[in-house]
Amino acid sequence: MTIWTIIITYRVALLAGLFVTLKLCLIIWFAGILVGAILGYLGSKYRREVGTPSRAVAFVLSGIPILVLLFWLHYPLQAMLRISIDPFFTAAFALSIINIFSVADLVRSALLNFPSQYNLAAKVCGLSPKTTFLKIEFPIILRQIIPSLLSLQVTMLQLTLFASLISVNEIFRVAQRINAIIYKPIEIYTALAIFFLIICLPLNGIALWLKHKYTRDISEN
Amino acid sequence: MLIGQKITKEYQGQEILKGVDIKVESGKITSLIGPSGSGKTTLIRALSMLDLPVSGEIILNKEKYKFPLQGNSIIKPWPKVSVVFQQLFLWPHLTLRENILLSLDDLKNSRDISELIDILQMGEFIDRYPNQVSLGQRQRAALARALALNPEYLLLDEITSALDVEQINIILNYLLVLRNKGMGILIVTHLLNFAQKASDNIVFLDSGKVIETGGSEILEKPQHERTKKFLSIVKQAT
Repeated sequence: MTIWTIIITYRVALLAGLFVTLKLCLIIWFAGILVGAILGYLGSKYRREVGTPSRAVAFVLSGIPILVLLFWLHYPLQAMLRISIDPFFTAAFALSIINIFSVADLVRSALLNFPSQYNLAAKVCGLSPKTTFLKIEFPIILRQIIPSLLSLQVTMLQLTLFASLISVNEIFRVAQRINAIIYKPIEIYTALAIFFLIICLPLNGIALWLKHKYTRDISEN
Repeated sequence: MLIGQKITKEYQGQEILKGVDIKVESGKITSLIGPSGSGKTTLIRALSMLDLPVSGEIILNKEKYKFPLQGNSIIKPWPKVSVVFQQLFLWPHLTLRENILLSLDDLKNSRDISELIDILQMGEFIDRYPNQVSLGQRQRAALARALALNPEYLLLDEITSALDVEQINIILNYLLVLRNKGMGILIVTHLLNFAQKASDNIVFLDSGKVIETGGSEILEKPQHERTKKFLSIVKQAT
C-alpha cells in the first residue's frame, strides 16, 4: 500500500480526524488570541491586580509538562470531582489555558515595552488619544507581536497531537488506529508528517518573514 | 510669549534644574547652549509641559501655571508649542510623508506640505521609511513634522547635529523666515556659528542654572568664567 492508497482508502477516517484537529485548533487559537490579548492588556494596565497573578500562573504552567497537565485534568481531577468530561473538551480547555497565558505574556510585554517616545512625539504633534492608539501604538505593537504570535500558534497546533493520549480522535490518533489495522508505520507517519509540514511550514515561513520585515522597520535607524 | 520662571526639576532625588528663568519671545530666536548634562533637554521638556516642573511657573501667552499644580489642570499646549527632540522619534512604521501628514489629518488641517518639502529639500526621500534614510534626512523630516503644524513656539533640541554645512544653512535661513513671521524659537545647539547668526538671545546653562544670558555678543565676550571656559573648549573642538 502506498501513501496515496492509504489516504484514499481511509479518507473518511482521516478527514474526520483532520476535522477534530482543526476544530481543536480553532478553539485554542480563538480563545488564546482573544482572551490572551484582553488578559495581556489588563495585565499591562493593572500590573499588580492582573499582571502579577497572570505572570505567576504563566510561570507555574511553564513548569508543568503539557502531558502531565492533560492527564491530570482528564483522570485524577475528574475522578476527584466524580465527573466525566468529553476528552475533546478537556484537551481544548488545557491547551487553551496554555495559549491564553502565553499570548497574554506576549501582549503584556509588548505593551509594557512600547517605546514611550513615540507617544511623546504624538503628544507634541497634537494627536488625539484615539489616533495615537489606532495609528501609532496598535500598528507598532502588532508588528512586534505578530511573528511570535504566529510561531506560538504553530506550536499550539503541534501540541494538539497530545490530545490523542487522552483518547481524542484527532488526526494523530486516527493515524495510529489505521496503523494498528494495516501496520504501515512508514507510509502512515510520513503522510502525517507531510500533512503537518504543509500546514506548519508556510505559517512558520510567514512568521519568519514578518519577523525579518518588522524587526527592521520597528527601529528608526 | 512662553516664559519659564524659577523652574526646578528633579530626577531620582537629584536636582536637574535649579530655578531656571527663560523666555521664548514671539518673533525671536533664543539659543540655549551649555555642556552635556547641564539640563538643556530637561528644560525643553519642562517648558513644553511634557514633563512638569517640580516648582516654578510657566506662562504661555495668557495662561499661567504655577507648579506644583494645585487642582487646576493644564490646557494642552501642543501643537501650539511644538518640540523636535534630539532623538527625533519619527514613527518607524510610517513613511516620512505619512509622519508629517498624520497630525495634519488628525487636526483636520488641509495644509499643503509640498512647499515645506521643497524648502527642506526632502523630495527625493519623502516617501521612504525612517530607517531607509540618513540621520540628516530624518532630522529634516522631524523638523518638517513640527513645522507643518505651524506652531507659535518651536523648541528644537540639537536638531542640526547630523547636518552638513549646506543643510544647516538651509535650516538656518528657514528659521529666520519663520522668526520674521512671528514664530518664537528656542534652539539647543553646540554650533556657535549657527547660534551667532540666528540668535536674538543666548542663554548659557550649566549644572541646571542659567549662568549667563544676553545677545549674540556673549559668544564673543562672555562675562562669566564658566561660559568663557565652555566656549573656548567648543571653539577648539570645532
